[in-house]
Amino acid sequence: MMRSISWKRHLTGYAFISPFVIGFLVFTAIPIVVSLYLSFTSYDLFSAPKWIGLDNYDRMFNKDPKYWNSLRVTLIYVFGGVPLRLAFALMIAMLLNAKARGIGLYRTIYYLPSIIGGSVAVSIMWRNLFNDEGLVNMALNALGIGSVRWFGEPLAALWMLIFLSVWQFGSSMLIFLAGLKNIPASLHEAAEVDGANAVQRFFRITIPMLTPIILFNLIMQIISAFLTFIPAYIISKGEGGPLDGTMLYSLYLFRRAFVFTDMGYAAAMAWIMLLIVAVVSSVLFASSKFWVHYESKGGE
Amino acid sequence: MKSWFKALTTTALAVSLAACGSGGGGKSESSDAGASGSGSPSASAPADSGKQVTLRFAWWGSQPRHDYTLKLIDMYEKLHPNVKIEPEYANFDDYWKKLAPEATAQQLPDIIQMDLSYIAQYGTKNQLVDLKPLIDKGLINTADIAENALSGGKVGDKLYGFTTGVNALNVDYDPELLKKVGIDKIPETWTWDDYKSYALKAGSQGLYFDVGLRPEVFFGYYLRQNGKTLYSPDGTQLGYDDDSLFVNFFGMTTGITKAKGEPAPDVTAQIKGVEDDLVVKSKAISNWQWSNQYIGLQSTAKRPLEIAPLPGPNVEKGMFLKPSMYLSIAQNSKNQEEAAKFIDFFVNDVEANKLILGDRGVPLSSKVKEALKPLLTPEQQKVFDYIAWVESHSSPMDPVDPIGAGEVASIFKTYDEMMKYNKITPEDAAKKFREEANAVLAKNKQ
Repeated sequence: MMRSISWKRHLTGYAFISPFVIGFLVFTAIPIVVSLYLSFTSYDLFSAPKWIGLDNYDRMFNKDPKYWNSLRVTLIYVFGGVPLRLAFALMIAMLLNAKARGIGLYRTIYYLPSIIGGSVAVSIMWRNLFNDEGLVNMALNALGIGSVRWFGEPLAALWMLIFLSVWQFGSSMLIFLAGLKNIPASLHEAAEVDGANAVQRFFRITIPMLTPIILFNLIMQIISAFLTFIPAYIISKGEGGPLDGTMLYSLYLFRRAFVFTDMGYAAAMAWIMLLIVAVVSSVLFASSKFWVHYESKGGE
Repeated sequence: MKSWFKALTTTALAVSLAACGSGGGGKSESSDAGASGSGSPSASAPADSGKQVTLRFAWWGSQPRHDYTLKLIDMYEKLHPNVKIEPEYANFDDYWKKLAPEATAQQLPDIIQMDLSYIAQYGTKNQLVDLKPLIDKGLINTADIAENALSGGKVGDKLYGFTTGVNALNVDYDPELLKKVGIDKIPETWTWDDYKSYALKAGSQGLYFDVGLRPEVFFGYYLRQNGKTLYSPDGTQLGYDDDSLFVNFFGMTTGITKAKGEPAPDVTAQIKGVEDDLVVKSKAISNWQWSNQYIGLQSTAKRPLEIAPLPGPNVEKGMFLKPSMYLSIAQNSKNQEEAAKFIDFFVNDVEANKLILGDRGVPLSSKVKEALKPLLTPEQQKVFDYIAWVESHSSPMDPVDPIGAGEVASIFKTYDEMMKYNKITPEDAAKKFREEANAVLAKNKQ
């Protein structure tokens, strides 16, 4: 008697979570398992996958210079772009932390770019701004400076992508803002009374108090930067040029998968990317005990 | 709590594994069903019942082509009220990215515009139907088409693509710009040496002579001139042994790029369509491309352009007529006969071809060609005349591109760019290209 009631209760519970569970299985769990299987196969989309063991991984590490290039480009993009983006986000957050009239409106305005930031439209706009005949060059020409080939060199083109990413600071900015609001005003007041200037207060109070937020933002931004695809795809017309200079990992993976219909290799690449992201995240977590300051120690 | 979580994850894992297993099994079943079912729908569908059918028709191209093709579909739907055609179009690169997953899902459009570099892959992997039986049934009329003109759509002994028209490589140039740099016209008998001197001359005067030569296409032509081919006949390796050919050709083009006779790769990478073409914008004198593209280029530039053949020597050995594109029918199509009728309309109907006007190659049907003659603008007539000239100044085309040709072209492009950016010498590029291209092509050995 008791048993059947509890069984029914559980059933109700399962019924309620079934939309998520089914969605998770069908769209996440099963594809993940299948992609692991595919990474050990040669699969061209047209005929059934053929088991080739570790060949894809062997080819990736030992025989594919383009793979290493994409990894190099992605590392520059991540470790060049993320610090810049976070610094920028913190700067704007500090500005918007001021008590001024209409500050809510400013916050909204500054957050807007990141709502549309990763999207196709912004990438197209970026491309049109910095084209050889884009708006920026038109302005430079009008000023008599002459046009600049913004996407002319591999490294320059990559930095153009990094600057685009810096511009999408909105979500980290909001989180920083919330963190800043949580710093007790009394700390700043006390320091001020003791004669600390603004710079000292920033480095001795604001930054240490923000370190948990910085850690969170750092990890989130690094993960999303590793997975960046849209801007590189749009701006280089899907080719990763010039000279593979904007061939981000995801873009190369996409090209292997859908341009060369090399699905097995692409799946193997995806798994290595997962490992890289996991390693980078755990290193950051491990390092956090040296630099992240938690207000309440021993809260357990 | 913990044991619940464990139970849940184990069930989830079990379910996913089971689903995975059945998914694998299901797939082979469905592909079997697809193969055996392919004959039956056409057999069961009555020839012209007035039954409502919907056909999907996919093509690549640029805006002018999309515009007239949509008109052509309207025309067909008016003539056949029971047929509805859903258009799907994109530019060349995006088109193939979309088509490959559709093939996996057995969801290919009924009628597919097909290209020389992909027909082997789609054909040999059972994605396309052999058109011969449909032609034999009289669904596509070939009475006005020369006997061997269709053979360009054959892979092995199966006809996987119906040629929409032929084209040939050509140099489309702006005679006014050419005069600006002090050259009267490009003579029919010009050579690569002439090309080099013209291009350097243009570059020194701040004009590009051309907008870049696609390496696999024009080096392919250069190889033919020298009695070689880019791919070996069986498609398992490159078709030339002598890397000095590579070094000569790319030494020349790289030198021209460095002298600004040709735009750097990052400049051409910004060209999104014929609207941005450097010839249209009067920044380059010529565009080396396929003859059917002349029409789109000229109509966008809106000023007279001329056509010249490619440089010699041995033009006859290098030049060839190529099916500009094919129309194919998908193996998974449930309306193959209706699809065949549309192809018939496309290649044989005079009114339809008045819209196409040679944009998909000079038509094969003599009747259509005859009917179009009075309608052609002098510009369009040039393409038809040029094709007639090539007919008597060419040799047979190489076999259709092997599987992996797309990847080889992409490797080629990378090394071409590296040479132009001074990151590698032509000598080293020749070796590296051979190594990597052969690795791709070796997969065709079986």
